[in-house]
Amino acid sequence: MFNKMVSYKYPRNLLMLFELLALFLLFIYSKDNLNKFTFIYGIGLILIVYVSNFLLLRISTGDTYIFLIVTMLISIGLIMIYRIDPLLGIKQILWIGMGIFIFFLTYLVFKNIKGWEEWTYFYGIGSIILFIITLLFGSRIRGAINWISIGGLSIQPSEIIKLLTIFLIASYYTRYEHFKKQKYGSYYLIATTYLFILFLFLQRDLGTVLILYTLFIALQFIYEENRRLILYNLLFSIVSGFLGYLLFPHVRIRFETWLNPWKYIDNKGYQITQSLFAIAEGGFFGTGLGLGHPDFIPEVHTDFIFSAICEEMGIFTGMGIIMLFLILVYRGFKIGINQKIKFYRIVAIGISILFGIQSFIIFGGVLKMIPLTGITIPFVSYGGSSMLSSFIALGILQVASEELDFEEAKDG
Amino acid sequence: MFNIVSLIFKYIFIIIIYLFILSIIRLIYLDIKGIDTKALNNASYLKLVNRKDTLPFKVKEYYPLDKEVYLGRGKDNQIVIRDPYISKRHLKIVEDEGNYYLEDLGSANGTYINEERILDVVKLKNGDRIRVGQIEFLYVGRE
Amino acid sequence: MDKEIKRIITVLTAICILFVSLMAYLTYFQIFKAESVKMNSYNKRLWINEEKILRGSIIDRNGKILAYSEKVDDTYKRFYNYGNLYSHIIGYSYREYGKAGLELEYNNTLLNISESTALNELKNIVLPNTEGNTLKLTIDHHLQEYSRNLLKGHKGSIVAMNPTTGEIYAMVSLPDFNPTNLKEDWKNIVEDENSPLLNRATSGLYTPGSTFKVLTAIAAIEKKDLDREYECTGSANIDGYILKDYDGKPHGKLNLEEALVKSCNTYFGEKGVIIGKDALGEVAERFLVNKKIDFDLPVSKSSFPYKDNLGETDIAAASIGQGKLLMTPLNMALIASGIANKGDIVKPILVKEVISPEGKVLRNNQPQLLTKAVDIFTANEVKNMMVESVKRGTSRNASIKNVRVAGKTGTAENPSGKSHAWFIGFAPAEEPKIALAVVLEEEGSTGGKAAAPIARNIIIEALNTIK
Repeated sequence: MFNKMVSYKYPRNLLMLFELLALFLLFIYSKDNLNKFTFIYGIGLILIVYVSNFLLLRISTGDTYIFLIVTMLISIGLIMIYRIDPLLGIKQILWIGMGIFIFFLTYLVFKNIKGWEEWTYFYGIGSIILFIITLLFGSRIRGAINWISIGGLSIQPSEIIKLLTIFLIASYYTRYEHFKKQKYGSYYLIATTYLFILFLFLQRDLGTVLILYTLFIALQFIYEENRRLILYNLLFSIVSGFLGYLLFPHVRIRFETWLNPWKYIDNKGYQITQSLFAIAEGGFFGTGLGLGHPDFIPEVHTDFIFSAICEEMGIFTGMGIIMLFLILVYRGFKIGINQKIKFYRIVAIGISILFGIQSFIIFGGVLKMIPLTGITIPFVSYGGSSMLSSFIALGILQVASEELDFEEAKDG
Repeated sequence: MFNIVSLIFKYIFIIIIYLFILSIIRLIYLDIKGIDTKALNNASYLKLVNRKDTLPFKVKEYYPLDKEVYLGRGKDNQIVIRDPYISKRHLKIVEDEGNYYLEDLGSANGTYINEERILDVVKLKNGDRIRVGQIEFLYVGRE
Repeated sequence: MDKEIKRIITVLTAICILFVSLMAYLTYFQIFKAESVKMNSYNKRLWINEEKILRGSIIDRNGKILAYSEKVDDTYKRFYNYGNLYSHIIGYSYREYGKAGLELEYNNTLLNISESTALNELKNIVLPNTEGNTLKLTIDHHLQEYSRNLLKGHKGSIVAMNPTTGEIYAMVSLPDFNPTNLKEDWKNIVEDENSPLLNRATSGLYTPGSTFKVLTAIAAIEKKDLDREYECTGSANIDGYILKDYDGKPHGKLNLEEALVKSCNTYFGEKGVIIGKDALGEVAERFLVNKKIDFDLPVSKSSFPYKDNLGETDIAAASIGQGKLLMTPLNMALIASGIANKGDIVKPILVKEVISPEGKVLRNNQPQLLTKAVDIFTANEVKNMMVESVKRGTSRNASIKNVRVAGKTGTAENPSGKSHAWFIGFAPAEEPKIALAVVLEEEGSTGGKAAAPIARNIIIEALNTIK
């Protein structure tokens, strides 16, 4: 009987069951300072997620899995954030609600407005303006300048810049013939990308440098006709990485703490070793929600949420999250391959790479598999900017998963 | 009390997460298996809108259209769907000068295009939704 | 178009590989690394658990309390009753400096923390444990104190044990430190160039000098076709190197027994070359050289790199316990034990029993044969030579009235310029009750003069007091 109800044929129902159980558990967890709003918010979110998954089947003829996967990721992340700090949990619920709204909004806007591939210059110049604003008005948090606050609201422009970069690259390669005709046209993109990377270096935002660089190299690998450029780029990245190591102490610190964090356990290696303790403590099944000590890790709700999940929900849940991301990336690529219009194809693949590489960098970082750079896990970490921009990306991916009008294909 | 519940729940959570992943992988697998892309190359076709796994009878994801195609419950149709709400010979779609026309053959429960019951022969446009019985198709037209 | 899709799939494959390696690494970390990472003293979780549990006591073989915990102002405080005396055996347990000794190796036992299985977790939540287990050691507090007093003023180590059961009666390493004052002394302790934190008994690696001749003698007995006669002229030319006897005095005509009694360097040097490095190395390995010794505390490996490309000079040097040989005092005590115990080496033990808070004995460490190092006839033959050495040879200073003591001294030259003084031995020879190794580091005196008298006193004390 129970088996039928949660039959694995209906992931939507499984997700709902998961959320209800989690809500129940968190309910007893914080029974001392119960708040009826918490309960209302929780139930509200579960309904929104369920209805959204249902609604999406009706309005979109495209992919039905990506939104489902993402809502699962969000649920796991939210449970952990609420457990660490109920106040942040409630805020996160609001961000998620807003994110889902933005998702549908993006979906409608992208479906109905055409000609996105024409705005190459806008994407480039827009990004540069955002970079300059960040440098001028940004505040330095944990060594990197990547936040600006407008009227009490902190936003992270680099989240938008990532998407703009994908659009820039996509529109460049869509209009590749057009640019090739111009003098030095084939170097426009490279020059802009390196300008972006220079800006990010000035902001000391190493995580985003890594993401943008991988994104750029991967898309260039697929679409660049001048294969030699790719080789130059790779060589250049190795040289600049080496130079960065020599010239910038903050790059060097990342490497040193990666190679042997135990040596610097008192200071620079503190975060990563605390993260390793948490993961080691969790074991395969975790300590159980509320029974571990993820609060020992600094920045646990953003960069180190994965370590907290591993501690309390186990390595198996950690692996589950990695697998969910893997399926998400796989679906994204599948959407790209099936998409007939070149611009949307590139955008779909760009977004999939973005999700994949961003999550890989931070998973690998907190595990000490690769040097740690502070970035968020899309959909899982706490944070408004990250949540909204990820949902915008997902909305675009949803549009790209549909069969779009054919007239455009001929132009593209 | 909470501790015990939490201890039990951690196993349940892991089981649910993995069932969820499994079910998604299974659906994706069914999807890939169901697509026979070769036949669709240049023809117009009908695409199933419903989720295949929610239907109690066999149905394909894609049906390529030919000069003249009959849809119904009976075996002599080109598109056979064993939905009890579909008549033995429910409708036909014919091609004429690159355009496709749909005609309901007096079915009991009717045929709907974009939620409107059709009474006459209707010219199909790309993106039309055709509903018969419990299922819904999307018409994808190509010249 | 085709090319594009191919490249897209390449990129997808690359990302898949990254993710799969992520999962593989996570699994690897959990299976192989997690245990040691968890035990790092910076892991605050360890202390959170510990602060709720009364850490178990540590008592000696007669029930004397050596270390215990007590509640002071809502937190448990650890007390070490005898200061420096047990610094290397019991070690210490502090939040700031971590753990060492038995406090580290038996941490989970002392806290009564069981492996985290689902059942244990549930049990822990329903019936949280509040008190750890007690460790009953094989150490005899009186002999430990007595031995340390004898060694006072020197650097070095003493290991005294029962050769038939493997129970360690006393294990001293000097210089030591006081675990009670760790907070005040930490800086000095860490910076002291005599490294008081090092447990010399298990981790000090010393050139064994002539004590090693016992093993060379065994190799000589086992080589049936060896000519045991030799004419000592006071020096020997081995491959261009002049090997000299102590003071350069000739011993004249010698057989194997006389050579060991008089500790003749030229005899063992020359015979060692004939025996060959492989036979010698093989005997040494049977006596646990180059082997990991399973013990309650971590033990360094003694080493004899006989598989290296050794020349005749090197083999001759090794045969008399010089050159590339390095031995731990514990290993030397085990060699003496093996010969005492008819050629069988018993596993050394420091923890005799684990006792639950209710007084139930949870674990009782029984004698366990570690290895059959040599047959009983060879063992007896060497034993008799060692008895003669004490009776009338270089080990005379260890002789006791009415007790047949077997022993061998050593004076080990080493890079510091001041020789280490060694003694290994056991008594009574016909039914050994105690075996021991004494090393005085950089003593600048001979084993016979410096180490043998200390050994003698310990043997007398042990035979008189230990039941």
